[in-house]
Amino acid sequence: MSKSDKISGFFWLLFGILVSVESARLGLGTLHRPGPGFLFFYTGIFVSIISLIILTSAFLTNKMEGVRENIFGASRNIWKAVYVLIAIFLYALLMEPLGFIPVTLLLFLFILGILERKRWIVTMLTSVAVTAAAYLIFETALQSQLPKGVLEFLRF
Amino acid sequence: MDVIHNVLFGFQVALQPINLMYCFMGTLIGTLVGVLPGLGPAAAIALLLPSTFHTTPVSATIMLAGIYYGAMYGGSTTSILVNIPGEAASVVTCLDGHKMALKGRAGPALGIAAFGSFIAGTFGVIALTITGPLLSGVALRFGPPEYFAMMIVGITVLTYLSSGSMLKSLLMAAVGLILGGIGMDAISGKYRFTYGLQVLADGVGLVPVVMGLFGITEVLENLETEIKRDIVSTKFKNLFPTLQDWKDSAGPIGRGTILGFFLGLVPGGGAIIASFASYAIEKKVAKNPEEFGHGAIQGVAGPESANNSAASGNFIPLLTLGIPCNAVMAILLGALMIHGLQPGPLLMTKAPDLFWGTIVSMYIGNVMLLVLNLPLIGLWVKVLKVPYYLLYPLILLFCLIGAYSLNNSAGDVLVMLIFGIVGYLMRKFRYDGAPLVLALVLGPMLEEAFRQSLMLSKGDFSIFISRPLSLAFLIIAALLIILPIITQRKKLATLEE
Repeated sequence: MSKSDKISGFFWLLFGILVSVESARLGLGTLHRPGPGFLFFYTGIFVSIISLIILTSAFLTNKMEGVRENIFGASRNIWKAVYVLIAIFLYALLMEPLGFIPVTLLLFLFILGILERKRWIVTMLTSVAVTAAAYLIFETALQSQLPKGVLEFLRF
Repeated sequence: MDVIHNVLFGFQVALQPINLMYCFMGTLIGTLVGVLPGLGPAAAIALLLPSTFHTTPVSATIMLAGIYYGAMYGGSTTSILVNIPGEAASVVTCLDGHKMALKGRAGPALGIAAFGSFIAGTFGVIALTITGPLLSGVALRFGPPEYFAMMIVGITVLTYLSSGSMLKSLLMAAVGLILGGIGMDAISGKYRFTYGLQVLADGVGLVPVVMGLFGITEVLENLETEIKRDIVSTKFKNLFPTLQDWKDSAGPIGRGTILGFFLGLVPGGGAIIASFASYAIEKKVAKNPEEFGHGAIQGVAGPESANNSAASGNFIPLLTLGIPCNAVMAILLGALMIHGLQPGPLLMTKAPDLFWGTIVSMYIGNVMLLVLNLPLIGLWVKVLKVPYYLLYPLILLFCLIGAYSLNNSAGDVLVMLIFGIVGYLMRKFRYDGAPLVLALVLGPMLEEAFRQSLMLSKGDFSIFISRPLSLAFLIIAALLIILPIITQRKKLATLEE
């Protein structure tokens, strides 16, 4: 507990201070007419106080028990989660310039073919089927306006 | 007589073919979401919200509500058959439900879960019909100080009951409050914490935050730990519980129903706590408590009834006071606001079709769920067999499309992904996301009520304690914060001894 609490405690302490400073800059107003930063100035102080309590108890527990912990565990699968995250970030960045169909196809090819190491025929068929089905459901049936991107000229 | 008149009006609305269809879709999707581990009702509602933009607010609410109570039904299936709860409120069902399945009694377990859910769900809706108008009447007398104090109670109760450290939950609520303040200040017109970023100008959207915290985070966490699913292979012939099963379950269903309903009313309370509380009570009152954990039908009937009853009870604070009592209700509140409606005491008079239509649709939805759950159990088992390597890219895709469709902007998708990472880190560092979501929704309302109260009193803080209702709310909130400190000190003292 203590190692993760020390890291998170420091983070929230900085966050609380930053919020209070920024809120003061926005204007606190008066008690009769509270300004836009009024509530958040005090909320920032509240966050800082709580994070200080978390920090203090983390240091005390550490002294008492000498706890050692690995926050992210020893799991090898954490890399899978990281690759998936990178893939969906790229998806978000490329979905407007490239369009929904190409990026969705690429996302499924990457996840099924490379990350999950499924056979290529299964990967290809599933990726095409999912992309087509998602397009039909969301664009045609639910009328979501998905980005067309490079396939704009097709007008379907 | 007014109630009967209103219920009849509700039937008129809910029985329109389009609303029946949305009710069916909601319960179907809800059951599916409940069955599938790794996708909870909060993420599912957030995900499907953009698809309701083209329909009326009544149909949209009917569908979104159906997803919520439908998920409570579906969640039991995975608990019983795979020992994996489809959603958090069914965790406790695993204890005895799965043991029953291992003993070859999967049918009666699923049956009593469905019947118990139906009875409790229906009771919850009837109670909602009766108490809704009464509460609305009381809430009409609320001014800004009462609203402020009530929202403080809501946030405190949720932090008190949420999993893990209360300090961390309080911290999360404060962070949610700050996040809710991002964007334009309604009173001064100034932009706060936006740093010139266009995507933040309208504030941090609730839907991308929820999808990130509950949808993306869930997938990332599941990717780390491989889910093993050993489905109990049995033929589901005897879904109808025997006479003895009914005798054993009648008490638990009755107690679970009443307990669940009242816990559902409390802001911060809800289906999860109701199911755990019901299990604890049943174990205490049982003649043979040693059977619990080894396939006691009471351990399935009680919690399953309690979580459904609580799901109905949850709608009362939302529809009558405009206060969401958990993350799912917070998203529903956001959904209603997107559709141009303000839930609260005026909702019943301003949009009676929505208020009564939604309530009555729940009666119909409960019948649909009984039909969906019992004969189609084989289909849900097949759904359970969908491999996770196929399921998680699909969940991700739905989240990506859902976030994009909100405003047709990749900015919302990025916000969702950032909150996906934040949620993942929060779980690693043991912070609960629910208080953050609740405070994010309540934040702007809380701030407005707070500032209006101070303007009313010309800067005098005593306005919050000079009005009896507001004072009562604040005392409850203070007690909720002080109680754990006292009990912890007592515990420490006994440990030291």
